[in-house]
Amino acid sequence: MDFTFVVQSLLNGLLIGGVYSLVAIGLTVIFGVMKIINFAHGALMMLGMYATYWIATLLQLNVYVAIVFVLPLLFLVGVLFQRFLISPIMNAPEHNQLFLTLGVMLFLQNMAVFLWTPDFRVLKTSYANINYYIGDISISLVHVLAFLMALLFSGLLYIILHKTDLGRAIRAASEEPVGAKLMGINIKRIYWITFGIGSACAGVAGTAITPFFPIYPYVGDIFVLTAYVVVVLGGMGSVFGAFVGGLIIGMADSIGAMILPGSMKSVLSFVIFIMILLFRPTGLFGRQNA
Amino acid sequence: MGKLKKNDLVEKKITRREFIKNTARATATAATIGTIGFPTVLRAATPSEISIGHIHPLSGFLAFDGQEMRKAVMWGVQEVNDAGGIKSLGGAKLKLIDADSEGKPEKAISEVERLEREGVVAMTGCYQSAVTIVATQIAEKLKVPFVVGVASAEAITKRGFQYTFRVQPSSSIFVRRGLGYMQQLSEKTNTKLETIAYIHENTQFGQTLADFTEKLAGEYGFKVTKRVEYSVKAPDVSTEVGKIKAAKADLIFASGYFGDGVRVARALSNMRVKAKAIVGIAQGGFSHPKFVKELDNEITKGIMDVNFQFDPNSAKAKKTLAGFEAKYGTKMSPSMVYAYSPVPVIADAIERAGSADRAAIRAALVKTHFTEHILPQGPIEFSDEGQNINANPLLMQVLNGKVEVVWPEKYKTGDIVFPFNK
Repeated sequence: MDFTFVVQSLLNGLLIGGVYSLVAIGLTVIFGVMKIINFAHGALMMLGMYATYWIATLLQLNVYVAIVFVLPLLFLVGVLFQRFLISPIMNAPEHNQLFLTLGVMLFLQNMAVFLWTPDFRVLKTSYANINYYIGDISISLVHVLAFLMALLFSGLLYIILHKTDLGRAIRAASEEPVGAKLMGINIKRIYWITFGIGSACAGVAGTAITPFFPIYPYVGDIFVLTAYVVVVLGGMGSVFGAFVGGLIIGMADSIGAMILPGSMKSVLSFVIFIMILLFRPTGLFGRQNA
Repeated sequence: MGKLKKNDLVEKKITRREFIKNTARATATAATIGTIGFPTVLRAATPSEISIGHIHPLSGFLAFDGQEMRKAVMWGVQEVNDAGGIKSLGGAKLKLIDADSEGKPEKAISEVERLEREGVVAMTGCYQSAVTIVATQIAEKLKVPFVVGVASAEAITKRGFQYTFRVQPSSSIFVRRGLGYMQQLSEKTNTKLETIAYIHENTQFGQTLADFTEKLAGEYGFKVTKRVEYSVKAPDVSTEVGKIKAAKADLIFASGYFGDGVRVARALSNMRVKAKAIVGIAQGGFSHPKFVKELDNEITKGIMDVNFQFDPNSAKAKKTLAGFEAKYGTKMSPSMVYAYSPVPVIADAIERAGSADRAAIRAALVKTHFTEHILPQGPIEFSDEGQNINANPLLMQVLNGKVEVVWPEKYKTGDIVFPFNK
């Protein structure tokens, strides 16, 4: 195993890890506040990818400009999701909510099959194939941009949650819903907004990978399973944890692929997943009482 | 005395048996006379329509692919009917009955049984190996001839079935052609080729192809020095591609589906992996028109693929493809060519059998020597196992933003660039 190969693999793992982070952050925000495991998260990411694809091809816009549309669109989808589907059963047993989100996932995937066919679509851009080289190590521009977007939006979300009134309200609703209500916080609206934010994260992650990832109705499945591992690793509900967790899992996958034979690659990240659940169920950065 | 008595008894018994036997013989004779004596009666019983069935994933995960396959089969049926139907049966028309596998093997059981009840004389399908393995098994049990269009698993024709036939190349044929073409090109261009690094997806499809390559490489003077597998669900395959790069093999072989094929090709290009040639073996993306159209030329140029193709020289193929496009407004993809091909083969068998009897059609299929096809091969003939022995995938290469057939020379539409040092 030569040095270049190891560095190259770790770098690629780190960059794709940024995307895992962004997907996981959306998931963890929703979980942290509403205690809902959103199975439809991958499908929302898929919607983000299709939205990006159509905006980029029909309006002839730059992929990254598409965020201006994708972000509010997915935010709205998330709000409506919470308002009309989750809200009515907020007090139902947890498995009902779980199955509901599963139902929404299947609905969205099949709707995508119906509307856009199960065909693979690849967005062709002039910069998708730009690479920088340091020695024999290649750095793909679009991967770096995806990573930077993850960094930017995670940071933004962190600031919103910790420095603004809205963020304080969200955190209050998450920690003590009844108390928050008594303090005059409109919990229902906070839930709408939170689901909107989570969904927007999935959408932005979708945009970030569209320049280098084929789009099809089931594409979300590929990322969302990893995102669950990341959420557990980082600590359910912890934005910072999800961000770091994404990078760790991205690199763990690379290391797994380097040292383990054939299809054993993902074994490493799933071993981490099981270990964390067994020995540190709060994750690396989760609250002890969460 | 006792002996005599016994004989008496025996004689009596024999007489009884003889009676039954004679009755049976008489009936058989009468039936034979009937056949010879009253042909007109039989002819009147000739059906004006003969049903054949097809089973594909018409809904569900692979619905798009399944609907494409359906169009191809429908076009095959229309061609037969437009040309006057089955002449030996008084111009009887073929009637196509749909069956939907939904992409699930378990669903194939009930659908094949339903087709049998609806009286189809032969079937075709199924696009997925897993579904085909089940469907052909049920068809075998029900004694309905099954001519497989698209499905590559070796096992399909390895179970000693009497009623299973397959038009498309099996996995081992794909590998033999791939290795053979490379050997020929190595000689022709004086390029020393010895080592192969193989990157493939890790389900039965990719594993089987890589297994065969490892096993057969020696026969063609090659050696597989590195084998790397990945999951089609892996978002990133760059470490796997890194392993391939480190192997520094003369040739890179790749097998997989469209989406993962895109990731592999991108990573190969991003990481500047060099080899004399990058060759897909039945790779779902590398020779797909979409692959070339939607990916950057930098990534796709020079990539090769050993895969399905129609015969670019055949007038019949041109006519079929043009007719199809005129009717459905879309081009017939290489997979569709193989979904289409069983229909004329079945029609030919019914024609020669001169009967709508399944066993007779099966007997005719065994003796198939069919030349009116659109495939780049000699006559379609089936081995004892039911495999189209002349099935012939071609070598294609992405040249100037188009997928061209480059080898064997007889079928070429473009001039090969070999070796291709990307």
